[in-house]
Amino acid sequence: MLDYAEPVTKLIDEFKRLPSIGQKSAQRLAFHILRTPAAEVERFIEALREVKQRITECSVCNNLTDVNPCRFCTLPSRDHSLICIVEQPYDLVAVEKTRSYKGLYHVLHGSLSPIRGIRPSDLRLENLLPRLKPENNEGVEMQEVILATNPNTEGEATANYISRLLKPLGLRVTRLAMGMPVGSDLEYVDEVTMDKALTNRHEM
Amino acid sequence: MFLRSIRAHDFRNLEGEIQWGQGINVIYGNNGQGKTNWLEAMHLLAHAKSFRTRHLHEAITFGKSAASVSGHVAQGNEIERELQVDIRANTRQTLVNRKREPLAHYAAQLHAVWFTADELEVVRGGPEARRSFIDRGAISLHPSYAQALGSYSKVIKQKKRLLQQAGEGRLKFAEVVELLEPWNQQLVSLSAQIHRSRTEYVNLLNDALEHSLFGDTLSIRYVSSLEGKGDLNNYEELIAQRLQIRMQAEVFAGACLIGPHRDDLSVLFGDRNLRSFGSSGQQRSALITLDLAAISVYHSQHQDYPIFLIDDVDAELDGIRIERLLEYLDGRTQTFVTTSKKNHFERFNQRAHFYEVSAGQAREDIVLRAAIG
Repeated sequence: MLDYAEPVTKLIDEFKRLPSIGQKSAQRLAFHILRTPAAEVERFIEALREVKQRITECSVCNNLTDVNPCRFCTLPSRDHSLICIVEQPYDLVAVEKTRSYKGLYHVLHGSLSPIRGIRPSDLRLENLLPRLKPENNEGVEMQEVILATNPNTEGEATANYISRLLKPLGLRVTRLAMGMPVGSDLEYVDEVTMDKALTNRHEM
Repeated sequence: MFLRSIRAHDFRNLEGEIQWGQGINVIYGNNGQGKTNWLEAMHLLAHAKSFRTRHLHEAITFGKSAASVSGHVAQGNEIERELQVDIRANTRQTLVNRKREPLAHYAAQLHAVWFTADELEVVRGGPEARRSFIDRGAISLHPSYAQALGSYSKVIKQKKRLLQQAGEGRLKFAEVVELLEPWNQQLVSLSAQIHRSRTEYVNLLNDALEHSLFGDTLSIRYVSSLEGKGDLNNYEELIAQRLQIRMQAEVFAGACLIGPHRDDLSVLFGDRNLRSFGSSGQQRSALITLDLAAISVYHSQHQDYPIFLIDDVDAELDGIRIERLLEYLDGRTQTFVTTSKKNHFERFNQRAHFYEVSAGQAREDIVLRAAIG
């Protein structure tokens, strides 16, 4: 016999499919929904439906967007001679938050990992190379590609792979620097970051 | 460092708190009472790991859901911290002064060197035990080395999977080359870092070998698997070249054939390899000599001694060796030895502290000390 009535069990099961939600959290969420007024639940359902219907991947940069091509690809103020390659849409947001980067983006939706079965063909690379040609870039000559994949072994492998891919094109290919987090105290910086920061120190 | 006290709760059969003495602490009692468990608790407190099992939850008392070991560690005259390790089924938590502390910072608070029957693998077992002995020491010198090792093993696992896929014929060789390159590129710099750290540590260790103690002429040398393949001083270039040359062989073998995960430490007794030629007595004194060197290297870098744990000392060493060893250690490290024969330690009655362990509880034998002292 089921612990809860069938519809409740079904809802708990659905919540459990979500990342980092286990049995207990799923139960808590399900009971929260049961206590919530119907109108609020409707709003939630509508939000879910809308996100699935209206959000697609930008055909140029693969970012998630409600207009295609996305705003980053179409805004005239963006610098078309620069392109920043990130793993996930949320990494793009992290770069964008600086408000100082004005170039284009390219979202890979993943990083290389033989263990998880992710090969180069699983990354969204097929539309990268064509983008770098002036005729597909509003007539602008691409100057630099910034590799902003994560600073872990998978992100590093991905950056290595792409930089080899781009080498024949004679573009400037750069990698995000690693070092000190700004606004923190030296004493809290871990040894590896400190080591990188020392290696990458610069003249004043 | 001075481990002033330790408290165990639902950890194996242990219960209660012990105040330890400086210098030599002798833990005695009949078999199966929990002597080694107390050493294991100290080791856990130092490194948040067990020297007996990879699965920490096995150390939780049967029928309980959590175990906890805590202790007070003094550094110098002024600093004293309370360390604590909590174990549950799938997690462990490390705390300093009752606040959670990430393992990377926690592990530097108390350093232990240990001598157990399993550790004899270092002198008579496969190269893995020797590499891990060196790595532990190298991490104690440069904590960031742990990160390099971690990244290295991640890259090796990824590369191995690629090689296996290639071996199953799912990829063309040209494809494999292209896919391997991003991982090999990382292996070059990580391997160089590991090679540097390990050779540096082994050189320090070799210089610190105490030759007078057991009258043994022990020498050690880090043996790179790239030895004889080119100029080791130009390690990055050499390994990059070897990775290139051996790529086909790696694909064929479906395994990573190049890198410091295939290096070894040669332990020579006179001019003979201890692993193949040493008697078991020689192997034991060799391990003790290596441990003492590790202690001495640690001391010269940190101006502080680690604690030294010796399990079942009389099963591993004869009476004369025990005496020489304890004479040597007295006034240096805080040492913990377990034994079932406390009469071996009579000479040290005035200088050592004695604890009798019975059914997991340890009690200091003050009468013994007072009677003689």
